[in-house]
Amino acid sequence: MAGEIPRRRLLGQIWGALVVASLPSMSMAQDARDILRAAFDNWRADSSYAKVEMTVKRSNGTRTMTFESWTEGEDRALVRFVAPARDAGNATLQLDGSTYVFNPRLNQIIKLPASAMSQSWMGSDFSYDDLARSEGVIDDYTHRLIQTRSVSGGQAYVIESVPKRGVPVVWGKQVLTVRSDGVLISVEYFDQLGARVREMRADRIGNLGGRPYPVEMTMRRDDEPGEYTTVRTVDARFNIDIPSYLFTRSNLQNPRN
Amino acid sequence: MIFAIAWRNVWRQPTRTILSVTGMAFTPMLLVFMVSFQFGSYDTMKASMLRINDGFGQFQAHGYLDEPDMAKTVTSPSKIMDAALALPGITAAAPRANGFGLLANGERSFAAAVVGLDPAADPEVAKISTMIKSGRALSPEDDASIVLGEGLARNLRVDLGDPVTLLGSAVDGSVAADVLTLVGIFGAGVPELDRQIAQMPLSRFNETFFMDGDVHLIAVSGPSLPSVEAAEQQLTHIANDFEVTYLDWAELRPEVRQAISLDQSTAMLMYGTLVVVVVFVILNTLYMSVLERTREFGMLLALGMKPGQIGRMVWAEMIFLSLLGTGSGIILGIALTAYFQNVGIGIEGMGDVYAEWGLPSRFYPVMTLERVLVGPAAIVGSIALLGIIPYRRVLGLEPVKAMAS
Repeated sequence: MAGEIPRRRLLGQIWGALVVASLPSMSMAQDARDILRAAFDNWRADSSYAKVEMTVKRSNGTRTMTFESWTEGEDRALVRFVAPARDAGNATLQLDGSTYVFNPRLNQIIKLPASAMSQSWMGSDFSYDDLARSEGVIDDYTHRLIQTRSVSGGQAYVIESVPKRGVPVVWGKQVLTVRSDGVLISVEYFDQLGARVREMRADRIGNLGGRPYPVEMTMRRDDEPGEYTTVRTVDARFNIDIPSYLFTRSNLQNPRN
Repeated sequence: MIFAIAWRNVWRQPTRTILSVTGMAFTPMLLVFMVSFQFGSYDTMKASMLRINDGFGQFQAHGYLDEPDMAKTVTSPSKIMDAALALPGITAAAPRANGFGLLANGERSFAAAVVGLDPAADPEVAKISTMIKSGRALSPEDDASIVLGEGLARNLRVDLGDPVTLLGSAVDGSVAADVLTLVGIFGAGVPELDRQIAQMPLSRFNETFFMDGDVHLIAVSGPSLPSVEAAEQQLTHIANDFEVTYLDWAELRPEVRQAISLDQSTAMLMYGTLVVVVVFVILNTLYMSVLERTREFGMLLALGMKPGQIGRMVWAEMIFLSLLGTGSGIILGIALTAYFQNVGIGIEGMGDVYAEWGLPSRFYPVMTLERVLVGPAAIVGSIALLGIIPYRRVLGLEPVKAMAS
């Protein structure tokens, strides 16, 4: 993984030149996909643990919550809230394409129906879909490198991703900006009519778990500019061994970790 | 004097007059009935749709209607209700809170609109909480109870007495979770409501969704929709005092208002056409009789009557005739309408379609002075105005020529 990054940087420069020549080709689409792949690998690796503070700004106040998350591969994830007391114990499990929610007050697991996936997750600007399908963009969309530009810390690729025909997706288009070292700088979400709906942007890039990482990211909806959700990763470890029981429903209800 | 002669002239040919009057009577009769029926149906449509769930008017936080955000709450609901109930024409007010959540029964879960309502006050403004298909409605003693629409209950496969799990977002964005017992299943007959709405006591909603005593709306009602409409100005005044918005029925249900105004304008076009046709038919008949009487008018001129006097006499005759005609039409129309006011008019085979819109299968005409008089008045008015044609005709007469004709 670590060895791949310089190679990508070199490739990126070659493609920057290609973009200038504006010759869209299959290999470019392939490369755009690789760039995204690298960004998600950087984000979650093969497995990951993270401790995150999430701040939700609303017109009637601001809430800050802390959660821990574990991921393995593309489709297993567990998020458990640890603070504040009102939210602690709530947990979300991603398993085999389904999303399960645990609430300590109910002491019960609820499997989310598809119709509820677009609902807000814990009152934030993220939806359950964002949790479940963040990597779906790689396979469910076709990608095109539309621009390379310089940002602080290097070059960045701007990739336009449009959904493949027949794939049920939430967005009409996504535009992702990825720094050449694989750090996701921003994601813009567009509706089916091409209007931008919201944007997630890296506010601060630092070093976490031995890699460059978007330590602080903010999601803003365009129709509510005064409201936002910021996720601040305070601790992260990558490519760790995670016991297999972690991503099970029994562990969701009765945590052993 | 002129009027006395005109009145006598009208009855000089009783058979003819009676025939004309009868002919004239039918259109006003029809207009009285149709207008009363049409507007009566609007009243029924509006009132019955609003009575299901909305109430006749609502207080809401600014902007809640367009973008129902849980955080847009109405604070101090009891003060607003007290102020509204003090108004004449307002007999009921009920607070409600709305949330969205997942309802689950084991593995099955569905998204639902969860309504917190006051079991004592709500039935006074809306029928939805009392349209129970099985079990019972929420009662003031209830705490951890829930009533589901029949579609929702069917989807969740829950029966009376079963626990229903609720997982939603509280007003501050944190998780609202509760386990409630199903005590009743309602069927409003409106699939949209029956599939989506769950009701729980407002007090329990308040705790589960951390509402802190706030609500999302206060629905008001009165003996009739017009009585609430009459109080609109004061209701708006109350809303301003408490920094909320008062919404009347048309703002709550803009699609109903649009449907009504569309229907109204096509109907008005039809009534207009009817009036125009009838007016010209009547005018033609009357003008014919004036032409036939040219000889008589020549005689009157020779006797020393001024042309203007004769003209006015003819004009008065026309007005008398049209008043007689439309007058009897109004009487017939009132009788006809009164009959249907008792029995109503059902449209066969449309009951199911109407039920989906929360409408009854029978409609009743409703008479008001305005609805009864507007059609006939248009006819009399037009004839009175167009009486100028025979009047001018008479003015042009010369005694000798007229007598010779």
